[in-house]
Amino acid sequence: MRWFARRCLFYVFAIWVALTLNFLLPRLMPGDPAGGVLARLSPSQIQANPGIIQTYRALLGGGNKSVWQDYIAYLHRLTHFNLGISTSNYPAPVSEVIGRTLPYSIALVGVAVLLAFIIGTGIGMIAAWKRGGTVDTVFVPALMGLGAFPAFFTALLCVYFFGLKLGWFPIQHAYASGLVPGFNWAFVASALRHGELPVLVIMAAFTGGWVLNMRTVMINTISEDYVAMAQAKGLKDRRVMTRYAGRNAILPPLNGFAAQFAGAVGGLVFVEYVFSYPGAGLTLQQAALGNDYPLTQGLLLVFAFAVIVANFAMDMLNFLLDPRVRAS
Amino acid sequence: MSQLQPLLEPEVTPLSVPAPRKHHRIPGWLSLLFENPKSRFGLVLIGFMILVAVIAPWISVNNPTDFNILATRQAPSWNHLFGTTDQGSDIFSQVVLGTRRSLILGASAALLATTLAATLGILAAYSGGIIDEIVNFLTNVFLVIPTIPLLIVISGYLNARGMTTMILVLGLTLWAFEARILRGQALSLKSRDFVHASKVAGESTRRIVFGEIMPNMISRIAAAFVLVFYIALLVDAGLEFLGLGDTTHVSWGMVLYWAQTNSTVLQGEWWPFLFPGLALVTTVVGLVFLLAGIDELSNPRLRTMKTKKRKKASR
Amino acid sequence: MTVVEPTVIPGAQTEARETLVEVRDLRVAYGDVVAVDGVNLSIAAGEILGLAGESGCGKTTIANTVMQVLRPPAEIVGGSILFRGDDLVGRKPEELRKYRWRNVSMVFQSAMNALNPVMRVGDQFVDMMRAHEHISKDDALARAGELLDLVGIDRRRTRAYAHELSGGMRQRVIIAMALALNPELVIMDEPTTALDVVVQREILQQIKDLQEQLGFAVLFITHDLSLLFEVAHRIAIMYAGEVVEEAPAAELRNAPRHPYTSGLVSSFPPLRGPIERMTGIPGSPPDLASPPAGCRFHPRCPNCVPEESELHRLQTTVRPVLRNVGPSHRVACHLVEQQR
Repeated sequence: MRWFARRCLFYVFAIWVALTLNFLLPRLMPGDPAGGVLARLSPSQIQANPGIIQTYRALLGGGNKSVWQDYIAYLHRLTHFNLGISTSNYPAPVSEVIGRTLPYSIALVGVAVLLAFIIGTGIGMIAAWKRGGTVDTVFVPALMGLGAFPAFFTALLCVYFFGLKLGWFPIQHAYASGLVPGFNWAFVASALRHGELPVLVIMAAFTGGWVLNMRTVMINTISEDYVAMAQAKGLKDRRVMTRYAGRNAILPPLNGFAAQFAGAVGGLVFVEYVFSYPGAGLTLQQAALGNDYPLTQGLLLVFAFAVIVANFAMDMLNFLLDPRVRAS
Repeated sequence: MSQLQPLLEPEVTPLSVPAPRKHHRIPGWLSLLFENPKSRFGLVLIGFMILVAVIAPWISVNNPTDFNILATRQAPSWNHLFGTTDQGSDIFSQVVLGTRRSLILGASAALLATTLAATLGILAAYSGGIIDEIVNFLTNVFLVIPTIPLLIVISGYLNARGMTTMILVLGLTLWAFEARILRGQALSLKSRDFVHASKVAGESTRRIVFGEIMPNMISRIAAAFVLVFYIALLVDAGLEFLGLGDTTHVSWGMVLYWAQTNSTVLQGEWWPFLFPGLALVTTVVGLVFLLAGIDELSNPRLRTMKTKKRKKASR
Repeated sequence: MTVVEPTVIPGAQTEARETLVEVRDLRVAYGDVVAVDGVNLSIAAGEILGLAGESGCGKTTIANTVMQVLRPPAEIVGGSILFRGDDLVGRKPEELRKYRWRNVSMVFQSAMNALNPVMRVGDQFVDMMRAHEHISKDDALARAGELLDLVGIDRRRTRAYAHELSGGMRQRVIIAMALALNPELVIMDEPTTALDVVVQREILQQIKDLQEQLGFAVLFITHDLSLLFEVAHRIAIMYAGEVVEEAPAAELRNAPRHPYTSGLVSSFPPLRGPIERMTGIPGSPPDLASPPAGCRFHPRCPNCVPEESELHRLQTTVRPVLRNVGPSHRVACHLVEQQR
């Protein structure tokens, strides 16, 4: 339980730091971000949204109140999910833009990271078990080579070859034009189809890391006595590999999951950009390019949150998978 | 039984460090790196890219962003080795000149980040207590906040993104990657005898940190530099690709940005993205191999080839 | 530690028993290093054979070979291992899988690490039983409980994880596991080394009791000769990948013939009488990648002196072979051969 409390304390603190960093960033930057944002709205637009100036000042600074008053106003607005209006999506509030784009990104990065994890650790496990075998000598270097490619370059290559030249995948947007998002078969099927190549690209970038990690740990685990004993007990090879060696070897790489996830969130931006995929990553890029600071601020917060949640989920998983953690 | 033990102790064989061969005027560490096949391959690739960067002005056209309406969107040919852009600019020149800029930016950012990571990591490990707690916490928090989105947001706030600004921004965000590892390394060194000895001898903290601990971590710090170097290269090119990098110079990322913005890929033009991408991959692969070589040199256990199998009879 | 009198099993009786395992001219190599070089050993049903020697002499390699769990790069490069007369070398993997634990089980070097840390103790019994016979999970768990009872551990401990057990308890759990399928031979590889002296004593006693009760044979491997004098019927001494002496336990202790054995025996104090200067053995075991020519012990042997030119020539060029020096006492030594 002490372990649990300590982890929770860390997460509360991490969330607080993310909130505060988000508050301080625009204030540390040269110029007047809030003023820049206001300049993007016409006087009639400002008039149509009473209180918008105060909100921007609280979020981005530059008003005549003290930093502390701003900070309290900022936190207060956050608790109401009031992050102002996105200038590039006028008149949509930031929270609505995030709510609309985030599901695509979560689906994309969630599926890709999970698949990369499962396939990567699986291959790493087999490669270590049969060192010098086909998996070890062919798949491992190939996936590591792929991992050295920046995600956006892989994405461009894939769009060109598999999309354009071979025509295997749709290459733009998240669903076929003309469909309305909703829970109907035509839309879901189209969305899945459009997600395939982006998911593969993210996987290509991140599977190699898992393979390498798992392989290294697994090689050490194989020489443990409990693995030798499992083999001596006359268990089937497969069972020794999975339930004894693999089951233990997976614990250390699991701790690196959050870092990988944070990396994948970064890769997501590039992939969405290349595929014109209407997720939170593409939105972030567009907002940053268009000086839509309320939106970039909100999105950074959401991304930081996502990574913290992933961290927390991995801690919980570790707690479930390792009885020694549970005991301490 | 205790009497029997002294002579039954497992034999400890010292790890054999390959004696550096004497080369003329080549420093020892460089010849060591050249003897390891991985780092040799890496050094050759990086050497090639550095050569390109040095001779760039002589092999490129004068102004790589020159328009040429008569030569737009040409596939690679003898006139334009890497083809031309939508505006008719020569991609070869852009890539070659971009090399110089990418290498300088990556190396400077890496230098800054590594200096920060090494100083903070070692200082934290050595002083312990509250300083250690703070640095450690800061590192962990930095690792939780996703770097690329953070950099995108910061770049968005900055109206003028010159090279110096980007070096500062990258250096200040990428240090956390290595700070944790260097701290761990310093912690284990801290408890070694020679550090205790200098402490007892009354040497100053600064002297111990920079004179005793730092030199013993040099290979790890070099590895950190190479790692951050290629991360910085990738991140920098990525930001430019998104249109959020240094827009004052020609760079690989910018060529890619224009290729993407003009949808050249969708029109079946492969040269505007392939060549800058390959330049980036070549450099990164070179650095990755150099890193693997350094790791092998500092940790002989990772070496697989040629090491004579030690006696391992009783296991 | 005091040494109690060994359980004496009359030699004749031992001879009469059926041979269970016979290792013939076994050679095992790790790459170009031959870790076990021409070893002959036999274990009779119900017998406790001790195998002693310094670390790196090849004891554990022999254990792994008999258990058929050698891992690459180790491989059998010569000889055979007969179990009840059938050679194990070249058998199908599935046959070997069934042979493991059912016919020969093993108590591993360190109890600390031989249990899977993320699996309940009971489940580790269950998957072993279910790998060998059709048995329901509940029945298997019930039997695991009985086995824990047998070694004096509360049967509810089947729900425990390894880290919740003390070192001694873990070792008992592994012993219980080793007996689960009533194997004919149990290999014990340093079963007590990692434990403190008191626990060591209890476990040793328990092994002896169980062995008498159930009648399985034991191959007891240790670097600690004094332990073997307590439990073993017969003892073989290994040096640098070879067996150099083999004799009934009492005889080996009272009248060791090989200078290496004498060195080992004299490196702990005698039970009675004044403590003499303990001699020990100077030097260290050879690198098996390039073992000394002739007798492998000659660089450390006090009897190998250039003055004895003929003997010295033999010792440095000809490998001695095991020869009988008495009923069931065999030694590989040029000096002993000459004295005959």
